[in-house]
Amino acid sequence: MRIVVLCSSPYSETGCAVAARLVQLGHTPTGALTLPSWDRPTLLRKIGQWGAKDSFHYATAKLSPGKSSPSQRIRNPYLESALRDKNVSFRALYEISRLAKFPVATCVDHNSPRAIARLKQWSPDVLIFTGGNILKQQVLNVPRLGVLNSHLALLPEIRGMSSPEWSLLCNVPLGITVHFMDSGIDTGPILLRREFLSDKNCDSFTDLRNRMIAEGVELIAEAVTALDRGTLSPVPQTAREKDSQYFVMHDRLKAIATGRFQRAQSIAAGAPTTPSGGHRA
Amino acid sequence: MSSPESSSNRKSTFAKAGRALSEASGLLRAPYRIPSLLSRLVSDELHATFQNRHLYSYASTNVPTEIALHSLLNWILQAQKADGGIAAYYSLLTGYSASYPEVTGYLIPTLYDVAENLKGTTSEAAARECAERATRWLLSLQMPSGAFPAGLHPHKGEAQPSVFNTGQILQGLVRAHAETKSVKILRSAQAAGDWLAAIQQPDGSWSGEAAYQAAPHTYYSMVSWSLAQLAAVSQISEHAVAADRNIDWVLANIKPSGWFDGINLHGHPTYLHFVAYVIQGTLECGILRQREDAVEAAAKAAWILLRKFETNKRLSGTYEPDFRAGQSFACLTGNAQMSCVWLRLFEVTGDLRYLNAALKMNEMLKQTLPRKGSKGVIGGLAGSSPIWGAYQPLRFISWGCKFLADALLLEHRLTHEFAQQFEPDLASAPSPKPEASECA
Repeated sequence: MRIVVLCSSPYSETGCAVAARLVQLGHTPTGALTLPSWDRPTLLRKIGQWGAKDSFHYATAKLSPGKSSPSQRIRNPYLESALRDKNVSFRALYEISRLAKFPVATCVDHNSPRAIARLKQWSPDVLIFTGGNILKQQVLNVPRLGVLNSHLALLPEIRGMSSPEWSLLCNVPLGITVHFMDSGIDTGPILLRREFLSDKNCDSFTDLRNRMIAEGVELIAEAVTALDRGTLSPVPQTAREKDSQYFVMHDRLKAIATGRFQRAQSIAAGAPTTPSGGHRA
Repeated sequence: MSSPESSSNRKSTFAKAGRALSEASGLLRAPYRIPSLLSRLVSDELHATFQNRHLYSYASTNVPTEIALHSLLNWILQAQKADGGIAAYYSLLTGYSASYPEVTGYLIPTLYDVAENLKGTTSEAAARECAERATRWLLSLQMPSGAFPAGLHPHKGEAQPSVFNTGQILQGLVRAHAETKSVKILRSAQAAGDWLAAIQQPDGSWSGEAAYQAAPHTYYSMVSWSLAQLAAVSQISEHAVAADRNIDWVLANIKPSGWFDGINLHGHPTYLHFVAYVIQGTLECGILRQREDAVEAAAKAAWILLRKFETNKRLSGTYEPDFRAGQSFACLTGNAQMSCVWLRLFEVTGDLRYLNAALKMNEMLKQTLPRKGSKGVIGGLAGSSPIWGAYQPLRFISWGCKFLADALLLEHRLTHEFAQQFEPDLASAPSPKPEASECA
């Protein structure tokens, strides 16, 4: 099966983990197409998109990993099994591509004509989206089967942004869905949909998110394997009466979602809790 | 040979140019306003350059809601004239306008709500006194027919009755009666309601001389809301029937896209302010009259605007039919009105996405309130952002302050109730951080 991975940066941990996991399973990608980590057009685009302040934060975050020690390099510990090969830990897409011998191309926009031309050259069966621009129809049309995405909530219940947080606030079970992308936001046909049952073991919300991301990588790999064997067919999402799109959650609501999660953790652990959800001293 | 339309367009352009020149000449009369004008122009230019937010982020501020409410109240108090009327706006070119009966009327409920919110402080007494003086002034303006006059006061020439202004003032009178139990105020409100019911067209709209540009407008749903409020107090069925008939007419103007046709403003674009008026009036009247059809129609339109706000991080200053985005400046008053609508929809439906959007909108609006500046500027809400935008350019407007105060009061009440009922964390949740973290 011809697979191409789309990444938001050559240093995207999720992008690297997906590519590395596919290599581990014998599905070496045909190629990877990434947005650049840092160049002049990217800088100008980021300033245009984000404003100067956010771009500065982004730049400092980009510069810091190079200074960190090797043990600190993997920020999401649950991706470690995918990102480590013997004693080597992959930090960049280039490192995986050198080892597994697949090309990595860079583009300023996944929807640009050059990017589309490159994708067509690779004639992929499947594109795997791990981050980057919102994909336009021309890109969605390139692969034979479709563009895979791992969404951190159960579909069709919770579409859009801040999905684990909205799942918690709306009392929808936490879960992950792998689906084909279409022109809507998380509205494409579903391939795999799984409740996330390890939440009881999480010690913080960040920990929960990290585990869910890692689980999403595994689910993508599982979907690719099943598609390759021809044992998985997409199921269109049923039309729902109420629009289930959610948007970036405001920090005040996020505090409630986090508090609700922490209380649930404390109750599960049998510990008395303070009203704000933390353990009593 | 030019068509009548192009001749009318030319006249309108000349009239606009004339008004602009007349406003600009205000600076010659009062050159001390130049520094604050320049400072605002520069700060808005910088803001426009550096505050483009990305997909995962939203505007935020560290101004607490209480401080913002105080500053809005102070702006309104300073805009009240000796006679009790409240100025329509403070222009960076010409200073305060004359008193505006319409806005003075519907500022009254806001002033009482702010007073309730600031109970036990000196601001409470000030807000109540401001509302009482405003009420007394309005009673003195009522026409023998029960109507209230159009435009600013004192007006040029003979006073003309106005449906919309009467409706908006009616809101204030109903609330003033609820606060004071004054029979005089109730009689005045009933007379206004009787007049509105009497001149309503058979189809439920209001048109003719007492309507703006003599045309029927769907944003007169705000008048229905006032009539529904009056009906709840007066128990006079004609008031309730008039409100229902108008809402029927407004609902008949809805397009399949959810857009309310019939805003019918000639010579200027459909500002978000008017779109929000239609939605707000329909929603509030629908709630009071227990009209599910009206609430659903308002919710559909409000949801479309919510999606636009969440996706683009802003709402356009003007809209074309079917919610097609128009001019790109922000109509701050319309934004505050939409925040009120979303908060009320959260209250009615319990859908947290409305609260989520309103919290972000209120943050964005609080961020625009000047913390420094002269009287008329400090603490006020500008017509547009940037300030040179097409809606009330270079002005801080009293109805903008009213709607933002309403939105902040609603946010305060609803988040408090939500916290008490469901989540003790909300009341003590930390202030928003400057940036939202990345989300899936």
